[in-house]
This record gives sequence, C-alpha cells and structure tokens, in this order.
Amino acid sequence: MTSSRIGMVLGTEDVTPTVFWFAVTNGASVQLDDLVTVQTTRPDGRAVTFYGLVDNVRKRHEGVTFESDVEDVVSGVLPASVSYAARVLVTRVDPEHFIPPQPGDAVRHATGDALHMALSADKMKEAAFPAGLLADGQALPLNFRFVNGESGGHINISGISGVATKTSYALFLLHSIFRSGVMDRVSAASGGQMAGSAGGRAIIFNVKGEDLLFLDQPNRRLDEKERAAQADKGLTADRYTLMNLPRTPFRDTQFLAPPRPGSVSGQITPHTDQRAQGVTPFVFTLREFCERRMLPFVFSDAGSSLNLGFVIGNVEEKLARLAQGQTGPGLTVEDWTPEEGDVPLEELSFTEVGGITLRTFEQLVSYLEFKLLEEREGEGDPKWVLKQSPGTLRAFTRRLRGVQKHLGPLIRGDLTPTEADRYRPNLLRGAQLSVVDIHNLSGPAQMFVVGVLLREVFEHKERHGRQDTVFVVLDELNKYAPRDEGSPIKDILLEIAERGRSLGIILIGAQQTASEVERRIVSNAAIRVVGRLDLAEAERPEYRFLPQSFRARAGILQPGTMLVSQPDVPNPVLVNYPFPAWATRKDEVDDLGGKTAVEAGEDWLR
Amino acid sequence: MPAMRIRLDPWPVDFEGGQLGLNPFGGQLIDIETARWAAIAPRAIPERLSTVYVVDGKPRMESRVFIEDTHGEAGMGGFGAFVVGAVKLCPHGSRPAELSDVVASRVLAHAPGLRLDPCELSPRDPHTGRLHYPPVAAASGDPLAPQHKVQALMLDAEQELSHRYASAVPLDEHDDREPLSTLTLQDGTLRRSGVSLGGAVVGYVKTMQTQYLPPDRVGLLGTLKPGERTPIMHLTSETGKSTRFTWYVRLCDAAFYQHPMSGVMRLEMYAPDDPDFLPPAVRAVANASGALLLRLGSKAHKDPRAPQNLIPTAALEHAMTRAMGSPELVTRRIRAHIAQTFGPEAVA
Repeated sequence: MTSSRIGMVLGTEDVTPTVFWFAVTNGASVQLDDLVTVQTTRPDGRAVTFYGLVDNVRKRHEGVTFESDVEDVVSGVLPASVSYAARVLVTRVDPEHFIPPQPGDAVRHATGDALHMALSADKMKEAAFPAGLLADGQALPLNFRFVNGESGGHINISGISGVATKTSYALFLLHSIFRSGVMDRVSAASGGQMAGSAGGRAIIFNVKGEDLLFLDQPNRRLDEKERAAQADKGLTADRYTLMNLPRTPFRDTQFLAPPRPGSVSGQITPHTDQRAQGVTPFVFTLREFCERRMLPFVFSDAGSSLNLGFVIGNVEEKLARLAQGQTGPGLTVEDWTPEEGDVPLEELSFTEVGGITLRTFEQLVSYLEFKLLEEREGEGDPKWVLKQSPGTLRAFTRRLRGVQKHLGPLIRGDLTPTEADRYRPNLLRGAQLSVVDIHNLSGPAQMFVVGVLLREVFEHKERHGRQDTVFVVLDELNKYAPRDEGSPIKDILLEIAERGRSLGIILIGAQQTASEVERRIVSNAAIRVVGRLDLAEAERPEYRFLPQSFRARAGILQPGTMLVSQPDVPNPVLVNYPFPAWATRKDEVDDLGGKTAVEAGEDWLR
Repeated sequence: MPAMRIRLDPWPVDFEGGQLGLNPFGGQLIDIETARWAAIAPRAIPERLSTVYVVDGKPRMESRVFIEDTHGEAGMGGFGAFVVGAVKLCPHGSRPAELSDVVASRVLAHAPGLRLDPCELSPRDPHTGRLHYPPVAAASGDPLAPQHKVQALMLDAEQELSHRYASAVPLDEHDDREPLSTLTLQDGTLRRSGVSLGGAVVGYVKTMQTQYLPPDRVGLLGTLKPGERTPIMHLTSETGKSTRFTWYVRLCDAAFYQHPMSGVMRLEMYAPDDPDFLPPAVRAVANASGALLLRLGSKAHKDPRAPQNLIPTAALEHAMTRAMGSPELVTRRIRAHIAQTFGPEAVA
C-alpha cells in the first residue's frame, strides 16, 4: 500500500465491518465510486485489511447548529470548519475477520494490488476480463466463470431506452469477451474442456433500426470521441488501451435479414434499407415449418386459452406427420379439394397422383381451413378436429389468417432446393457473430423468428453439449418473456435461463424494466447491469441488489455509464465504457478504413 | 398620573439576576468626550482595524476532594479545569472566523499548607490521552476557596490572552501615531483593578446590574437606535481603586413587551486615573463599536441572551466546553484513579 492517506475512519458515526464513514483529509478529494482500503490491527498484532467503495460523500459546517449560521460563517463572524466525510461500503475483508476498523485508522485509495483485492480480481485470476473503466481510470475486472456458465451465467441489463444504451454495453462486453483473450485463457486453464474464443459464437437480434448492420465496419468518430473522453476524464491513455482491448470492429460476422415482401418468386432480396451488400436474406421452407414444428411460435398468446393450445398441438402434430418423408420446400397433400374461387387453381401445382403441393403460407392456411372447417360438408376432418368446438377452430384459423400477411414472405414453398439451402438461417456453423435483423418485421413475425431460431440453437446445444459457448443478445425481454403471460417463446427463454448455462447458451438479455420480465429469467442472471433507470422503477424489488444510494443514482446515469453487479463483489460498481470501435449507424461507417482522405487518395493513385 | 406598565426582562429566569439589576452606583462619573448628552451615530469600522479577537474563559469544578498529605496535614480541595480562548475574525468580513488558542488547563486546587504531588490520571484506552493536575494552593481553607482559585486562574489567563493579542493604546497625548490594527473584545468587565496592561481591550458587559447613570441621563438609553452610542465617560469606582472609560451601545430595538434597555450593552476600556485626556484610540474604538457589535450580535431564536451574547462568544463557549472534555468522563476518570491508587487495599 503506497498511496498516501486520504482520510481517517470517523469515530462519531458507527464503524461496522460492512459500512463506515471517514473524514477526508484537508486537501484530499474523494468522490463517489472511489475504491479505498483501510488496515486495522487486532489486539494480537495481526492486520486486517478492509476494501470498499465510496457510496456517499458529504460536506457540512461543523460546530454550528442553525441553518442560517452559514451566513455568519461566510461573513467571518462565526468560527466553523467544513467537515468533509465519505461513506464506504466494504466489498471485502481480508483475512475474513469481521471486526470493525478502529476510528482513526488511515484510509487510502486502492490502487494496484489493493484494487485487485478490492474487486476480488485475485479470485478471478485468468477468468478476469475488462468490463469498463472505474472512475479513476482503472479497468473493472469481471469474472468470466460467472458469464460462461461454469459458476453462473447470463447477463441482464436494465435501463431506459436511448439513454441507458443497453445494446451498446452488451456489444462492448461481447467485444471484450471475444478479444481480451479471456475465453482462450479459461479454455487453457480447463485443460481443453472448453473451446476458447475460436468456438465461441454470438447471436444478436437487432430489434431497432439498422443499428447493428455495420458492426464489421470501423467507426469514423472513434478517434475524436476517445480523444475527448481521455481529456475529459484525465486518463493516461485512451480507454481501449487502458483495458488492453483492440480498437477494431467485430471480425467474422454475418448479417441476416428477412426477405423483402412482395418478391413472389425469383429474386429474394434482404429487407434492409441502408445496407445491401453482405446481408443474407433468410427464409424457412414450408416443409421445414411443418416438419420442425414451428406452428406454436405463430401463436404468441397461446397460453391464454387451453382449448386453443390443444388445437395448436394437434395441428402441429398432424403437419409434422404430413411432412415426414417429403422432400423439397413445398408440402404435398393428397386430400385437398379446394372449392372454386376459394384459391385460384392456377397457383396450385398438382402432382401426378392427384395431390397438391402447397407453395405459400397462404395455401397452407387455406388447407388447414379446409381440414378443420370445410371437409365433410363443414364438419372438418374428425382426426384433425378432435371434437373441438367450431368456435375454437375458427379462432385458430382466424389467427392464422391474421398473421398470414406477416409470415408469408418468411415461410415459403416456392424456392428451388438450392435457394432453400442458401437462405436457411445458419447461426451456429457460420460466422462468430451473427446479427439477425428483425426490426422490419411486424410483432408476430419477430416473435416467430426469435422463437424458432432460439429453439434451434437450444436443440443444437442439447445435442452437442457446452463445449462451445453461444451468447444470445436479446433486447426487449419484457416483450418476449413478460412476467404475466405465457408464450412458446417465453418457454424457450426460460429453458435457456434455467438450463442454458449448463449447455453453454448464455443469454445477454436487456429490457427497459426488469420488473416486467419473468422473474426466473432475471434472477438467473449472475451479472446484472443497470443503466439510467426511471426512479420509480429503481425502487422495485428487482433492483434490491443495488444499495439505496445506487438506486437513487441510477436516475442520473449518463449514456456510457453503467452500474455493474457481479457475484464476486458484494456491491455494484460504476463503470464507463468506450465509444464503439464499430459503426452503429451508416453515417458512422469509416469508408476510408481509418486513413485520412489524402492517404486513401494516394493509395488509389499508386 | 402615568399609567402603570409592566415590561419583561429579556433574559430567561435561570440566569441569575437577569439583564437588568439597577443597583445605584456610588462612584464618580465625568464627561470626557463631550458635555452634550445625546446619541452619537455609529461610524464605519476603520480600514486599518484588520483583526478583532473575542476572548472568553470558562472555569469548571470537576470534583471536590478531601486531601490528607504525607505529613498528616488535611484540608479541602478540588479537581478543577479552566479554559480560555479566542475567536479571531476580520471586522470587514474578508476572512473566515477561526478559533484561536482554545486550550484547557487542569489544576488540583487545595487548602494552603498541604504538600502534594501532581496527579496524573492515565486513561483506560491509551488513545484518549492523560489528564495532568498540578497542585495549586488556594487562598484559604474555606471550602469554596479552591473553586475561587480556579476562577482566578482563569481570569488571569483570559487577561493575559486579551492583551497579548491587542494593539497598544497610547495613554499619552503626545503619541497618537500608534495605529489601531487589532482590537480585543473581552466578555465581562475588565476585572483586574487599577493596572492597565496597555492593550486595546474592550470589556463588554451584557447585564446592567449597576445603574451608573444619574436619573436625568438614563432616558437616553431607552431612545438610542441600533448602533448608536452614548458619549464616552470617565468612571471611577466607589472604592476609587479602578478607573475606566465607558459608554453604552444599543444592539437592537427592544420589543414592545421588554424593558427599554433590553438591547443595550455597556462597554469599557482602561483609563488612567487622570480624567482630562481621552486617547484618540479609545474614541476610535467607541465610534466603531456600534457597527462592529451590530455585526456580532446574536439573534433571539439562537441564543437566550441575544443580542448581547455575541455570535463568536456563543461559538467560543461551545468550543471551550468541548476543550475541557466531557465532565461525566472526567469525573469517572477521577473516580477510577482514586480506586486504582488508593483503593480498599491501600486503606487496609
């Protein structure tokens, strides 16, 4: 401990092993989030060191009683001194003798080894990776074993949209995980049990704008922003350097987007406005839809009616049987006799034996209407109907008709087998980072895509085990896993939250309000992060992990600042994280590859 | 015939005597500034007066004791403490006020004729320091004598401190160049009779136990406006032993239910016996006293003796009490010391 004394433990406030106040020495400056250390000596001569975090600082006039005395003090009539004190929340006691420090013990800034002890970095060893910078410019270590599922898993981020920049922080964490080398270090320490960063994958669902379609491009404003931040915070180097992270965009990426609606056959183009190159459209074939039981994900509110759930389950089963043994993107049925005028016959293709091959989602819905309501003079096929009331059946088909428009472009039977292969979303065997752009989809289609893809990932991991870690970044958890309603996608998310950690699927979930998300999902996250919160929200029980003073501060956090809570450190820590090195908008893309216009011009002339 | 009227003494009843006593004065009073008995308006505080000290002291008897010395002599005594100190302030308000020399002393005052060793009270917790009580003989064997001794020691210390700070006042008409740069305000009368220690020390007397003014002059006190003062007078005590320059200042308007002299305070400075010369420094102090005391006067809701108990004095009293330590803790230490040193075993 070489840093100089910044204060002494106060004797006029209670000194406890977990909280104490100290008087700040004249001339010293202590701010919130400073990490401090105090050493006390037990009567037997052994030292006990306390490490803690400043969570409150206050000044007051000492020796005066009345509030109006301040005028007399300032006018030089009343002698008084200014007392400057800070409260410390203890994060660690070493060795674990929970005695209180002695009033009068010297308080120092925690730096170097003391800082490592304060943040339990010594326990993390090779599993530590930077999660941002502390107020004094030192990196906050986060324990990867609490991220990858070994000791705990999942990250949950809460905060108001726009100011809390949840997605930015999730991306920064991914960047840090992939590029700090922590995956490889942990893999080496495990003796090859884990795959390291080469096997690591991340899937990001892009729900807002086209923000995440440029993650592989350098950010033009990075230099300017980082220089400003460095000067502003008085740092010795830029924030990437301080955390030992490369200032580069994401590598090994793929971008998936749904096809643009309206392109009936032939050309399938991604439905994106700002980026056309390097974005792969994705579609599901009609046969896959049936075979791989995607029907439940069409009904996000299936949980609301028991009967409807029964019909869905039955139809799902029947469609899966139908699709069994079939090949090609379409679905061939042999018992459909569509009425004239109902479906234009020229759009249907008849097989040699009189069957019909369904080529669009609309046709599938028509077929289901036929099977459930029209066959046998309006009675329906008894095997499909299973004595359900016509009302329920109609509710089922009505809902299908309702989403038909949204799902039509995504679920198709009119592709060639090569196209079907090319456009099948491939999240786990493709690039390290897959961005699935669903922002252009309507609500039901978003739910469908997220549900189907997550289930695929989950089933894949169930087969292949946890060797490779897959990070799933999903914003708006309150939409996909609301607290009060059930839905197929919520079931998948619950599975991931509760079992995913042992399978190597890590959910990096974000939401505006944790109080509206299924409790079991939030409570399973080992790492919790809070950005700017609405103050009423901050008082809800979901944020009890924040001490009261932090809950109050959550209301004034600026973009780029987060409160991070991890199991190794009993109190949350405030960090700020660097400006993204990757473009988050089209106008941030650095077309010149980091060079000035003149340098780039020289390259062309050569 | 005038109507009957009853008005309040402004001070709480637990202050002995109240603010107003009005005992008749038997000494001599001479107009030295002017023969015209009328209010004089306050002047601004002169620029060169850069520092004002407010000095006060406080005695405390901690335990009365009965002492037997090693020679078989016995007598009464007491563990006592006293503290003096000052608040240093700038009358122009350009610096923060600060406490100065607030130091407590402790003595074991005893009846004369006893031979005693100093008492050293060591604490249970080494953190909290030792209490050192050197023996001091009181004037007599009277049980109250030790207490008076502590009081006398305090007054001496207070006096010494006041004059150490203050600029000198030339009491000679040929020397008026001495600048008045530092002034001391001392709580209470100047006490030490006769001698002038020569400093610009003003005693401020909060009460009016003695009515110095003849009946035809008292009326002016009731009509003074805040900051105004009476002319300076030369005052010789009844015994003729002490002489003072004195004048009255009003610090605030009296409320309608209070007696008309409730905001008035008497000030005094040392004067030579010879009543024909008023040193310019004294006049300068008197001129500035209204403005100065208006700034320092306290408010009724903060201090029961407002405005006479000045703001710095109240703060100083608080600091002095603190400097002597908690009386409960000290008494307990004394008891522990006696138990340890002269416990039941020592008697047996």
